[in-house]
Amino acid sequence: MDDPLPGDDPLVAALASLRDEPPTADLWPGIAARLSAPPSSRRVVSLTLPQLAMAATLIIAVSAGVSWLALAPRPAATLPPEPAIRAVVEPGGAVQPDIQRATFADAQFDAAVADLERILREESQRLDPQTVMVIERNLRAIDDAIRESRAALDADPANTYLNSHLADARRRKLDLLRRAAGLSTGG
Amino acid sequence: MPVDDVVLAASGDAAAFERVYRAHVPRVHGLARRMAGSDAADELTQDVFVRVWQKLGTFRGESAFGTWLHRLAVNVIVERFRTLGARRDRFLADGEPVLEVTPAPVRARPDLSMDLESAISELPDGARTIFVLHDVEGYRHEEIAGMLGISSGTSKSQLHRARQSLRGLLNRTANGPQRTPKTQVTQMRK
Repeated sequence: MDDPLPGDDPLVAALASLRDEPPTADLWPGIAARLSAPPSSRRVVSLTLPQLAMAATLIIAVSAGVSWLALAPRPAATLPPEPAIRAVVEPGGAVQPDIQRATFADAQFDAAVADLERILREESQRLDPQTVMVIERNLRAIDDAIRESRAALDADPANTYLNSHLADARRRKLDLLRRAAGLSTGG
Repeated sequence: MPVDDVVLAASGDAAAFERVYRAHVPRVHGLARRMAGSDAADELTQDVFVRVWQKLGTFRGESAFGTWLHRLAVNVIVERFRTLGARRDRFLADGEPVLEVTPAPVRARPDLSMDLESAISELPDGARTIFVLHDVEGYRHEEIAGMLGISSGTSKSQLHRARQSLRGLLNRTANGPQRTPKTQVTQMRK
């Protein structure tokens, strides 16, 4: 900083003691009422390379974090079969005709996730609390990555990297849920 | 502040933006209060965050988000000064009443921080703005000059006067309202 204060200046101690406090009244409702439009009509939400790398690292970390989970073999009939996730290219209503977004079988993915989550919910009392905590934390991390990818794809639906990133995140979520459900049913 | 919330807010997620707001409102409100006074601080704070929402799409991550938001806050507050009809010459020495208080020895006070907040509020507008930007927020004279449309020399002289006034005000708080024989208050205005 240019023009610094001398070290023995009484203002130095006084400045060091200044504290920032939130306002007495909650200003958020007034702010929220004024947020009438999205931040930018262009919706230029481009994840920077560091942000994408962070999301990818998060997925890798989630996979590494659950690698210690014992893979208990389960009869195939007990757990829903892993759906074959395939790209389904369908025309989007709001996009240009030559740019189409791959949806990767949303309904199929959602149904599989719902089934696995139901099993995990029903049988989780058989897992120790620490394991449950790890699973839930890792699921949150994957959900965050899925949400970020979806948000970025809203602005750039034809981005092949983002589409494959989303598909990868979904696959890893299913994988994690299958392994967790397999543990919980005591295979 | 998780970068996720900034990314989500930029895509229109109001809940994420509320988290951004709650993380940064103490500093923004403090800045608004010190620069513009308690009466205007709430409204200015709202203006700042509405502007942040509007400009989120332009944040590219070249700097830390807090740094970007803070600079935006300063711009909003300075614009308000201009909107209210404040002229350049409010920052010029000739246009400012200047309090000159000969400082007496300062004794230690346990609540210096409270005294400094009050003392800052007693400064004239121009001197207060420059003191807050320089000594509280850490901007350089060249940056302040660019923001306010004044010269670096004016910024430096106003800062000097502000510091001198604050030392006197803090000392007055420490020693009570009575004046010593050496203390004189002079108002100069052209």
